[in-house]
Amino acid sequence: MSPRKRLPPPAEKPAVGPELARIPARRILVVSPVIQIRLAPGDRVLVSPGQKVDAGTPIAERTSDAEFVEVGRLGGSGNGNGKEPGDAGWRGLQQERRRPPTPGKWWVGGDDRRGKSTRREGPRRIAGTLLYEFNGRWSAAAGERHDKIESPTSGVVMEAANCIGIAMKVTGVAIPAAVAGGEPARGYLDVPRLVEGELRDTALDVGRSGAVVVAGGRVSAEALTRARAMSIRGMVAGSLGQAELRDLAASEARQRAGLHSMPPFGVLGLDGHQRRPIASPILALLAALAGREVAIVTEPPLLVLDVVDVPLPELPPDWVRVRSGTHAGREGRWLSSAGLHRFRAGIHLEAANIRLGDDLGPTVIALADLERFIL
Amino acid sequence: MSRQPRVFFALDFGAATTSAALVGHAGGRWRLLAHAAAPSTTELDALLFGILDRVERADPELLEFVSAQERPKTADLVADLARLESRSSPPRRIAVLAGSKRQRRRLEEVAARAGWLVVGGSADVDDPLELSRLVLAWDTHAVLLGADPTPGGDEKRHLPMLGALVAAAARRRPELAVVLAGGAAIQESDFSGAGEHDRILEVAKTVAAAGPAAGADDTPVEVPSAAPAAEPAPDEARSAEVAEGAIAADPLAAAGAATDTAAAPAAPQPAAPAHAAPVELNAAAPDRHDSVLLAPDAESGQPAGSALQQVLEGLRARSDESRLGVARSVRSLALLLDKSIEVIEVGVDGGLRCRAEAVGPGHRTVVSSHVGMASGSFTPDDLTDEVIDEVLSWSTIAFDRYRLIDRLRDLRSSPWGEADGEGALLRLAAAKAAVQRLVAATPEISEREMPDILIAAGGVWASTPPSVVALAMADLVRRPGVGRLACDQARLLGPLGAITDEEERRKMLKDLVEDVLLPLGSLILPAGIRQGRSAGRMRVMGETANSDIDLQPGGIWAVELAPGQTARADMDFRDAVRLGARGRHFSVEVSGGLGGLFVDLRDIPLRLPDRADQKRATWESWQRAMWSEIDE
Repeated sequence: MSPRKRLPPPAEKPAVGPELARIPARRILVVSPVIQIRLAPGDRVLVSPGQKVDAGTPIAERTSDAEFVEVGRLGGSGNGNGKEPGDAGWRGLQQERRRPPTPGKWWVGGDDRRGKSTRREGPRRIAGTLLYEFNGRWSAAAGERHDKIESPTSGVVMEAANCIGIAMKVTGVAIPAAVAGGEPARGYLDVPRLVEGELRDTALDVGRSGAVVVAGGRVSAEALTRARAMSIRGMVAGSLGQAELRDLAASEARQRAGLHSMPPFGVLGLDGHQRRPIASPILALLAALAGREVAIVTEPPLLVLDVVDVPLPELPPDWVRVRSGTHAGREGRWLSSAGLHRFRAGIHLEAANIRLGDDLGPTVIALADLERFIL
Repeated sequence: MSRQPRVFFALDFGAATTSAALVGHAGGRWRLLAHAAAPSTTELDALLFGILDRVERADPELLEFVSAQERPKTADLVADLARLESRSSPPRRIAVLAGSKRQRRRLEEVAARAGWLVVGGSADVDDPLELSRLVLAWDTHAVLLGADPTPGGDEKRHLPMLGALVAAAARRRPELAVVLAGGAAIQESDFSGAGEHDRILEVAKTVAAAGPAAGADDTPVEVPSAAPAAEPAPDEARSAEVAEGAIAADPLAAAGAATDTAAAPAAPQPAAPAHAAPVELNAAAPDRHDSVLLAPDAESGQPAGSALQQVLEGLRARSDESRLGVARSVRSLALLLDKSIEVIEVGVDGGLRCRAEAVGPGHRTVVSSHVGMASGSFTPDDLTDEVIDEVLSWSTIAFDRYRLIDRLRDLRSSPWGEADGEGALLRLAAAKAAVQRLVAATPEISEREMPDILIAAGGVWASTPPSVVALAMADLVRRPGVGRLACDQARLLGPLGAITDEEERRKMLKDLVEDVLLPLGSLILPAGIRQGRSAGRMRVMGETANSDIDLQPGGIWAVELAPGQTARADMDFRDAVRLGARGRHFSVEVSGGLGGLFVDLRDIPLRLPDRADQKRATWESWQRAMWSEIDE
């Protein structure tokens, strides 16, 4: 698998025999996928459809402490936008401010809404989005804390709406994953040495700060905690268990509740939830990309590579991988069809003879437990 | 050969499985020539090639005859043969809003029975911000705002605010479909618009006028759908044409008696796609929200809620949806066979329970009802604690909760994976839990008598041994009586239900009924057996074998009776039991199947130990009796 080739044109389709075609195909790369950044009432977008954005560009502002606010009557124009002259998009925001109040419009609390000031603290400013008008009085989702959301990758904005979300077409290619946790994040790809396909927790040190680390077959809750503490931006593993996802979600919630926000952290499980090593073609691809900037996207789960020119591993056409079952994670070559085979518990399934790894003899594996790779 | 080909593919595109069958007209009738199923990720052409290749190898003359070609080329047949298709509708989410918690529960129940994934909130419990989050979420495709026809004080005071909230959300998201049910229709003025809106209003009025009769027919009302932004391609956009007369008491009643199959039929015509004339609802005025439906309240119809269920189902499902197709086919079968038929279908993106039967002996009118639920999936998207508990309660394997969640989630992403060994046991437990949810959600079907034919359908049963499927049905559909068990092995009920013309569908089913329903056997399930001593004896007298069984309470037996064979079962009980009627001596005709004749003397409902390990041991003992290969 050492020789590399460039990404083939999208229309090109590798020819496989009719028997091999019955094995579910797994695409190693997707070109220009559409990603989503989900927003909630109180959040506003800072970009508009058609706009090109680079990685790191602020695309939205999240109101992390949004609460329901009775705004009262509003005149023909809004009360402000929280921007100062000279800011990017100031002119557009001025125009936006002149628009009559509508659901979703950004709103900044007036004096009466800034909270009662005391001698010790200054007036509180609250801002958010208008929700609805009822009996001539407006309601809003607003709060004091606003965190910028940066684009994890470069692309073109397709949809952008306050309170709802942003859809963006990525410029480059991405490796699809099965499950994601945390938030979209960005960092340089770090592929440390794996011991029997696994990464030891002690390898996650401060030297990997700012990295997206390839963590082997499984990532543990301890590794996630340690990675966050070391300012690591994300982890990519073969699988990601529900217990780890739960711990990560709880950690995210604590972060949001805290005053000091940490950089976003994301985690990807390439295959699913049960323990499996990373597929060798994907690991080879990741190794070839080590050191380059990548992004973890959670909706859908993707590792975005930002570039189109990717060194792809050369794969034999009969290369298959066991996706599930007792041999899950092993790889080998297709030998022949085994027809209808009787498996454990007397279950009859279509099967194939596969030479797994360095095994001398073939192993009979159900077709549905196999996957082949397409580029 | 200049004849027209008399063969077609029947294709069922499920969420997990693509099932293909080759149906040809030979020997004077339509026949199932071959069928195969594969993961939905498999290339369809590869599947069709495989089927044709098998037929060609087994009987090349037959393929020549039905295709009306000499030495037909497989590639040409794959490309040219007619296709009858049905497919699963992807699950969609509806946000249910109400003024009171009580009303919200009712509406959620109806929406769930219409196949929606449901999230909900009520103004008396949740604050408007939380309700706005539900409505504005990207994956929410529709909003149902409902109230009693005459709203009480608890919900009346919240309705104006809810109307304003939903109208504001609808302005932000023009693709959002809004349903105002019952007394919530008073908020219609919050949604400006005319034209299309007026026409939609008529749909609701039709349903409302249908009232109790609506429950007699399971045809969903076709309503215009504001398609979600991410989902349909332009050719899949739903038509805004209103299906006039969709609420007729029963279309089968008007169709009259079944007639003989035509001598030289053509391949059947699938249901006209509902996307013939897509309507751009908001093309004229982008800020105007027209896709508002006025629907009956959550209590209208018989059973209660069925009128609203029809509207919501029409909003969600495609016209060629597999589950609706199964329901239509079952209705046709009930009329054709003059028997009560019940189907339990379990898939990845949902499940279906439906029942059809004639109003009375000799009647040509069929009463049918169906409930398709997203939570009827064997691995639901939302794995709540209740779902996990249910799977654990049916499992014969001890699982850690998180490990079970991991396995169920992987099963969802790879439904065909690890179908043997422990994976088969997990799949069976998950399927039983799904059927349990379906049974719990359909009390109106459960209160009926044991059906004459009970059909298991859906990919989850595909690789399970027939006797185990029969045991699962016996475990879950516990009503005293005698019934036949069958399996829709080739998954033909869905595609055949896509045939629009009722008479044509019935003709096709008449020919194919033996092929469609793979017999699993018969089930004898008496109620009222006293524990502790022999309940009596049973003699089975068949064409090839006779059996004499001592009826011990609490057990289940399988008597070998091959498919196609019939036998007479004479039962003498010590005490009076219920088996349809109440009595001590019964003599019933039973038919065989792949599993044979099942005699189930366990309690109705099943009584199980409280302790988890003892419960697992009990399940395992029953399962092992039917699944001797389990230890292989």
